Amino acid sequence: MKNACEIWKDQLLEAALTGSLTAGLEEHLRTCTICSEELGNIRARKARLDTLLPFVAQRSEPSANFRAQVLAAARAAREGKRARPWRVWRLAGATAVVVVVLMMGLTLQRRTARMIPENELAAAQKLTEWRAPSDGLLVTPGQEILRTMPRLGESYLDVPVKTDEEE
Amino acid sequence: MIGVCVSAQIARTEPHNPEAGLGERIAENQRRVFQIAYSVLGNSADAEDAAQEAFLRAYQKFASLREAEKFRPWVNRIVFRLALNRQRDYRRRLARDTAWQVTETPVMVDGAKDAEQLVMLDRLRREIERLPEKLRSVLQLSLVEEMDASDVGAVLGIPAGTVRSRLHTARKLLLEVMK
Ligand SMILES: [Zn+2]
Repeated sequence: MKNACEIWKDQLLEAALTGSLTAGLEEHLRTCTICSEELGNIRARKARLDTLLPFVAQRSEPSANFRAQVLAAARAAREGKRARPWRVWRLAGATAVVVVVLMMGLTLQRRTARMIPENELAAAQKLTEWRAPSDGLLVTPGQEILRTMPRLGESYLDVPVKTDEEE
Repeated sequence: MIGVCVSAQIARTEPHNPEAGLGERIAENQRRVFQIAYSVLGNSADAEDAAQEAFLRAYQKFASLREAEKFRPWVNRIVFRLALNRQRDYRRRLARDTAWQVTETPVMVDGAKDAEQLVMLDRLRREIERLPEKLRSVLQLSLVEEMDASDVGAVLGIPAGTVRSRLHTARKLLLEVMK
């Protein structure tokens, strides 16, 4: 194409695409063999393009078992989803255990870290003196009270009272 | 005990089949959905993967997509997006890998007649890849069967008139370069 004919380039493409010529181009083609030839080339290219373009997407289709495959995958996904809740609970349980263990660990650490108060020391002392449960049955914390309990025939009301006589 | 087994069997096989509705939707849409993916990805294996993913996503929200009129535009849009994502990942991998020439062999194109046509088709695909994205999307979607300008516009969120003018521009650019 000559440089002077560059201005017709777009109109030539349009002519090939739409199949109709503008009045100006028609006029030019009557006198310009180069552009006439070019229009022929573009039209041939357009025909080739039209045969090729359908292959970009059309003329292609999924395999015969595509639908069955998708349905199987959907079923698998649904069954996997149904199984998920108990997996979630298991995870939640494991998390709870971890949290409890961590909290216990923290509490213990804090306890040993601070100064041990006297009453706790005493309690610890008692722990070291712990005896078998059978001993515990014999020695009860209520022993003191039992000793002061009224015996048969006595009364709580029988409290020693200071009397004038005694004085 | 037997009664329990029988009723369980019935529940599994008989009237309540959750995938039944999906099967229908796949039958109605699979060809178009596959072609949308194919137009972007250019090979059957990847296109099937993308199409399957689209249907599975549709299945997840099937409650709202039960009606065919809602299903169709939804699945068109989702498969196009999935295919674009795949293509992007693919290009990234391609840029990373050294042996990139091996991949785009257009051998599995159905119906293409001869070697020359395959070569031309390969060239055409590359030229489409080079188009500005707005034009490329319109062209790829318009090349799918049963996709008119308003279907394409629904996928891309643009008016049908815009689809038509972009399609025209895309074809003009291809006509110019496909010498
Ligand atoms: Zn001229």
